[in-house]
Amino acid sequence: MNTEKATLKDGRTIEFVHDQPRSGTMKEVYFTPDRKSVVCFYKDPCAGSDANRLQRLQMILGAYNPTLPQSHGGAAQNDIEADYYRKLFCWPTGIVVQPRFGLVTPAYPSNFFFPTGPVWLKGEEKNGMWFIGPKNRKWFEKNQPSELGSLIQHFSLCLQIARAVARLHNAGLAHSDLSHNNVLIDPSKGMSIIIDIDSLVVEGLFPPDVLGTKGYIAPEVLSTIQLDLKDPKRKNPNARTDQHALAAFFYWYLLGRHPLDGRRIPPGNTAEEQDLLAFGSQAIFCEHPSDSSNRPEEKQYVPCSALGPLLYDLFIRAFVKSLHSPSDRPTALEWVRGFVKTWDLLIPCSNSSCLHKWFVFHNSTDIRCPFCGTRFKGTIPFLKLRAESRPGQWAMDGQLAVYNQLPIFKWHIYSRVFPSPETDRTRQAYCVFHEGKWFLVNEKLTSLTSPGGNRVPPGQAVELKDGAQIRFSQEHNGRIAEVQMIRS
Amino acid sequence: MSMGRRLPVYLLLDTSGSMSGEPIEAVRQGIKALLSDLMSEPTARETVYLSVITFSSSAQQIVPLTELMSFQEPSLDANGSTAFGDALKVLEQCMDREVVKATSTTQKGDWKPLVFIMTDGQPTDSWESVADHIKQKKLGNVIACAAGPGADENMLKKVTELVVKLNSLQPEALKAFFKWVSDSIKTTSQSVAQVAADTPIGLPKPDPNNMIIVL
Ligand SMILES: [Zn+2]
Repeated sequence: MNTEKATLKDGRTIEFVHDQPRSGTMKEVYFTPDRKSVVCFYKDPCAGSDANRLQRLQMILGAYNPTLPQSHGGAAQNDIEADYYRKLFCWPTGIVVQPRFGLVTPAYPSNFFFPTGPVWLKGEEKNGMWFIGPKNRKWFEKNQPSELGSLIQHFSLCLQIARAVARLHNAGLAHSDLSHNNVLIDPSKGMSIIIDIDSLVVEGLFPPDVLGTKGYIAPEVLSTIQLDLKDPKRKNPNARTDQHALAAFFYWYLLGRHPLDGRRIPPGNTAEEQDLLAFGSQAIFCEHPSDSSNRPEEKQYVPCSALGPLLYDLFIRAFVKSLHSPSDRPTALEWVRGFVKTWDLLIPCSNSSCLHKWFVFHNSTDIRCPFCGTRFKGTIPFLKLRAESRPGQWAMDGQLAVYNQLPIFKWHIYSRVFPSPETDRTRQAYCVFHEGKWFLVNEKLTSLTSPGGNRVPPGQAVELKDGAQIRFSQEHNGRIAEVQMIRS
Repeated sequence: MSMGRRLPVYLLLDTSGSMSGEPIEAVRQGIKALLSDLMSEPTARETVYLSVITFSSSAQQIVPLTELMSFQEPSLDANGSTAFGDALKVLEQCMDREVVKATSTTQKGDWKPLVFIMTDGQPTDSWESVADHIKQKKLGNVIACAAGPGADENMLKKVTELVVKLNSLQPEALKAFFKWVSDSIKTTSQSVAQVAADTPIGLPKPDPNNMIIVL
């Protein structure tokens, strides 16, 4: 193995294998001998002499670094948080000064490369375009459907992206170039990782050096693209444009079409001019409730309302109300809430060859999977979760569609628990369908109480019947589940 | 980023007698490498359509504009003279026929085509007026490559502002050229500049050991 040594800014040295590099647009990438890290050299020979870039990188590696505990000069509260965000970000770990200016970052985990497939696919990175591009998608549906994952895995990876971006924004950072190129996704495992962290924007401190990627650039950025870089009217990437990119990615990925890419063709002599308007100043949501001019090209399409009322509201806010008024866009944290809450409405599709395998439950007498059209036949216990908002007042603050083997976690039991990096993820109880009846089986709950007021100890079950009220816990913030049996 | 729009890419390749032997074999390998490189790029797979026009004593489109997944490598033979003017005429006809105009009412128009011209010698037919026409009408983003010592970069500058020069017709040089073509296609299919009408496309820097940009 032909290795070379690189010297880091902090004096450490690191070995890298000097063979044919993987080449990106900005960097050349070499593996370390153990293949756990990569050394990336900037192609731009002046990159190292840019004092602003250097200072920004030092901040990114240190004070702004959510993958490094505060005790080590990072931003993570503790090791648990640091470990958690290390899975969501490919965060740089060192600045290289010799032989050329560059970065050390962890290598992408192996599940973000295709393990099998034809020669053009095997070993390639799982760039999101493999899954959102219609031709690519069709290829996978036909040839390697296991790579596509199910809707529950799509939700899982969207939730991870939303959490990661929420973490950046919470720290006053903006990614500035969120796109299928900078977020690797592994739908088969429901995982995502944000890469190319080195161009992060610190608002008011470090300006962006990219405009973003086609399809994700916010309308206000596109419509001021012709203005001079120094023109104050020019809109540059920031946290609000990240919010647009985030919503665009979720919509595009979950529904298989771009939210602004409909049948309307704005005036213009060239495709370039037309798209500048279609994605810029004249952008219209393809599912706009009152303006149908830009409907999707397909006659049949799954509307975003199929993803449940919470995600529907977020999409409408992102692409109707605040498409052209950036300050009202849904935040990454709102998307986190939207996915967490909607997760509780996912039920399995009864069509065993359905590619999505899951869909979002909607309370009606004709429950159908919107992706394959298969009608659900049977009974679904639907739990309305109530929490005591004031003494004696129980307000609904959650819903849970029950399927066989549904796990119940602490964030279902207690109203003040929200799933976060540090939340206890042990299953507390689960639901089963047994001999024609539905039961909630207790595993860890110490004060689960039946509708009749009896304690149900761990190992025992309570039946889910229409109208029954089950108290998950007598502790403070313990919720009550009200059962509604829905037949379809 | 309209997914309905295609990026047409035309390769105009000189297959005159002077290319025979090692150079034409290197071009064949170059197309193979270009194709395999683009096939691994998910955005290119969605948007890029490729056509090959060859020219020797006359010009012909040997591969019509085809999506990457269906593209079959053409067989190439090198002999005859250098009908460069004819090649430009065939290019114009093909683009006229195959590229969907933005004014189409039934379909979203294609992106501005990307045209790569590679020649190793002097034209043997008349070419000036059609070159002038292509340059004036800005029919595509044209990149011309003067390959080897016999090629005339000043002639190519009459077709496009963007000319690269290959030092030799050695396999290494041609390989580097096709790698650069591939990188340029990938960059163009992703670039933001493409959404801003009429801004010059930003191309990746060519390998300085094998190529020089002549502007
Ligand atoms: Zn289904």
